[in-house]
Amino acid sequence: MTSDAATTVMQPSGRAWLRSIGEALLPLGVALAIAALILLVSGFDPIEVYRLLLVESFGDARRIGATLAASTPLILTGLATAIAFRAGVFNVGVEGSLYVGGMAAAYVGFAATGLLGFLMVPAALLAAVIVGALWMWLPGVLRARLDVDEVVTTLMLNFIAISLTSYLVNGPLLAPGSANSATPMIADAARLSPIMPPSTLNTGFLIAVALLVLYAFWSSRSALGFESRLTGLSPRFAIASGIDVRKVIVGMMLLSGAVGGIAGGIHVLGNIHRFVAGFSPGYGFTGIAVALLGRNSAVGMLLAAILFGALTTSGATIQLFSDVPIEIVNILQGMVMIFAVARFGLLVGKGRP
Amino acid sequence: MIDDIVHAGFVMTTPVLLAALGGLINRTAGIVNIGLDAMMLVGALLGLMVSSATGYWALALLAAGMGGAIVGLLMSLVVTRLEANEIVVGLGLNVAVAGLVRFFLKSTYGAAGTLSLPGVVMLPRLDIPGIADIPVIGAILSGHDLLTWAAWLMVPVTAWFLARTRFGLRMRAAGAAPQATRALGLDPLFLRDISTIYAGFMSGLAGAYLSIGVVGIFNEGITAGRGFIALAAFYFGRNRPGLTALGALIFGFFDAFQIRLQGRGVPAELVQTLPYVMVIVILTMVAIVLRRARARGGA
Repeated sequence: MTSDAATTVMQPSGRAWLRSIGEALLPLGVALAIAALILLVSGFDPIEVYRLLLVESFGDARRIGATLAASTPLILTGLATAIAFRAGVFNVGVEGSLYVGGMAAAYVGFAATGLLGFLMVPAALLAAVIVGALWMWLPGVLRARLDVDEVVTTLMLNFIAISLTSYLVNGPLLAPGSANSATPMIADAARLSPIMPPSTLNTGFLIAVALLVLYAFWSSRSALGFESRLTGLSPRFAIASGIDVRKVIVGMMLLSGAVGGIAGGIHVLGNIHRFVAGFSPGYGFTGIAVALLGRNSAVGMLLAAILFGALTTSGATIQLFSDVPIEIVNILQGMVMIFAVARFGLLVGKGRP
Repeated sequence: MIDDIVHAGFVMTTPVLLAALGGLINRTAGIVNIGLDAMMLVGALLGLMVSSATGYWALALLAAGMGGAIVGLLMSLVVTRLEANEIVVGLGLNVAVAGLVRFFLKSTYGAAGTLSLPGVVMLPRLDIPGIADIPVIGAILSGHDLLTWAAWLMVPVTAWFLARTRFGLRMRAAGAAPQATRALGLDPLFLRDISTIYAGFMSGLAGAYLSIGVVGIFNEGITAGRGFIALAAFYFGRNRPGLTALGALIFGFFDAFQIRLQGRGVPAELVQTLPYVMVIVILTMVAIVLRRARARGGA
């Protein structure tokens, strides 16, 4: 089940490019249509709502900045998901890596005050990478050595990560004198610098895009990129070609966890400047939608992340200007996710293949 | 004290058990249902609304079950007819339904996350005279509602259904050997749809149990991830009804403990992780045992 699922969302080869754009836009269209129906039934004008969403997310420089800032964690969680998908590993545990990675970065950010200022950000991100990667080690090894279903183990690890970090911020790492579940604020030197004030856009976005570019080169030019793709497409062929499939699977899980950890680290260092219990509104899960909609390609995932980022920021502001509940955004996100994996061709085709 | 915990343990087991028995059938027929939590949420909301509107708990249960079943059918159609990956659809369903429920609460009731309605009729509790006063046994057997009894009755019924009935065997065939099922003139996709509808129905009941059996109001976080605990339960039980019920019972007791531990210096968050840790441990142990058996057979 799992390797099938991942290989069906593999990156298309050059010629199928145009078709894949259509395939990516169709789920979006269906989701928009269903959400429009829901809006109509609830007495809102869907066209007006969608126009507002568009204006609020791309209307001017400040809004574009906010949209890109909101897309930053999604680029990274999408990338983390795609790295595992390529190798045929259905990792739904990026959310967990994001939590533990964010916690690790926050800890370094407020505790390692003895460090030289310019070392703070790299040290905090390194902590996020290590902890995020280690979080995926167990499901990776279990899948590679014992064939334990990684969907279940990574899903379970999400809940464990959320509860564990929530325990840490309510107990040992609770900010002194603070009643809410949060760590102390990180040092100023550990914060990522804003690049488009007054918006919240910061250097985290640049890091995310840089990783995306690295991924594009890595996946098409490097030996490991090729081996991981082969492992995802056909594990048996990969074994026959002399690839150590187990090693590739564990390696890709570690890499996926590392990127998930960075996602959490950047969110902490760039946006909220401390760790707060339940600090992710499901970035890891939206990342799955990003990877699916972007068909694992760097450009596709960037566009998909910006789309979901736009929905997040504009959803928050349209609630202020109209009485449309912000949840229309969640409905859209969920629907896009559902239909991103649907094969609509089967509806017009002649029954099942 | 012990009686309280035992009673609370059984109360917390019921919703997990109901959803797990549904998910078990679903998985047997070939679909891993990660959307159980969404179906539970719909059931919880509909149960409260119908109970308040009509004053009949039976109608409320019916509405909750049907609501869950409809969500199940929609999910199933996307999975079986559009060949969408069930894990992604399940995850997306959780996001979409949670959004839809909050959207509905805001646009219809102007409520932010919590809904309290007048005239809600709760599920009646059955106190068994004589037994109610016996320590522990009274806490186990007495003071529960019909849904709890129904859930436990469904454990042997599910086992019998899968092992002995024609329809149950067909469900198993649809999951284990869809091609062979088709060769016999049966439609495995149709069987899978039925199994998802059933899982939705059971999860809807589980949701209604929470809203009109336990708390009496609706909250967007009312399921507290119990749909995923149910998933953990049938993975723990490896699709066997008896073992799945045992898993649900263990998780129910964890839940009851964790509620008691709150405010006593024991970190409830750590107790909350136990069901999930257990599933990973069990899956690992099962895999090791299988591997040893295979190695011995191969040598």
